[in-house]
Amino acid sequence: MSNSILAPGAVLALWTLIMLIWVAVTRFSAMSKAGVDLKVAPPGGRGADLEAVLPPSVNWKSHNYTHLLEQPTLFYAVIVFLHLSGGDVGYTRWIAWAYVILRIVHSLWQATVNRIPVRFAIFSLYTLCLFALSVLAVIATLG
Amino acid sequence: MDTNAILGPVATLALWSMIMWVWMYATRIPAMNRAKIDAAKMVGGTGKNLDDVLPAEVQWKAHNYNHLMEQPTVFYAVAIALAVGGMGGGLNAQIAWAYVGLRILHSLIQATVNRVMWRFGIFALASLALIALCLHAFIGFVLH
Repeated sequence: MSNSILAPGAVLALWTLIMLIWVAVTRFSAMSKAGVDLKVAPPGGRGADLEAVLPPSVNWKSHNYTHLLEQPTLFYAVIVFLHLSGGDVGYTRWIAWAYVILRIVHSLWQATVNRIPVRFAIFSLYTLCLFALSVLAVIATLG
Repeated sequence: MDTNAILGPVATLALWSMIMWVWMYATRIPAMNRAKIDAAKMVGGTGKNLDDVLPAEVQWKAHNYNHLMEQPTVFYAVAIALAVGGMGGGLNAQIAWAYVGLRILHSLIQATVNRVMWRFGIFALASLALIALCLHAFIGFVLH
């Protein structure tokens, strides 16, 4: 395993784009089943407009892709802070890996079964990881 | 090789996002005036509420501004990681320029004609560029 806290960040960025591919593959086959033709779509349509048209399990992939562009932006900033200010040490790397692994589990759950209590539990766990990393980043940058 | 070369496209896309911000308000405020919306009396609304009120092509600028706060956040993270890791020159810098050029084209299309098929084609190309950068970061940071 790499000895840089940037490695889990690179993995999460790549995972985000794998989710994008999953969105595209499932969405296009569902659109053709639903008879949606992009060529005659009215100008200005967006992914969110498909909420009412496609089956929920298809939209779940897209919900998760959207989530991956929300809280993780904070994660990227924090690991760069840690890396640049001497906070890139053993245990912070493990917390960052835990965050990324839990995000991947969260994606798989939301994209497939998507029962909310389980999703919420995973969300809470990785948010605790991010909380810890943020505190460590404050200590590393002030110190 | 200048490993910070990739920061050029980073700065360009950040600046472009702010230009879209200006474009959004330069069209939104006159449109709100025309629609007789008095912002001084509004409580708790968000930009999304305007989708029902303002003409679609005014909101298209805002849709694009919002998109620029979505996928490009991954681009910024990966580009800065590549620069910090000494991999931000050469091919990676060129791919980053391609990503930024495509995102600017994507903005121009979404803010004006907004044909969904064109927009999707440009978005798919930009995403491929970002996937390449992510793979290079993965190879550099995780496999080495």
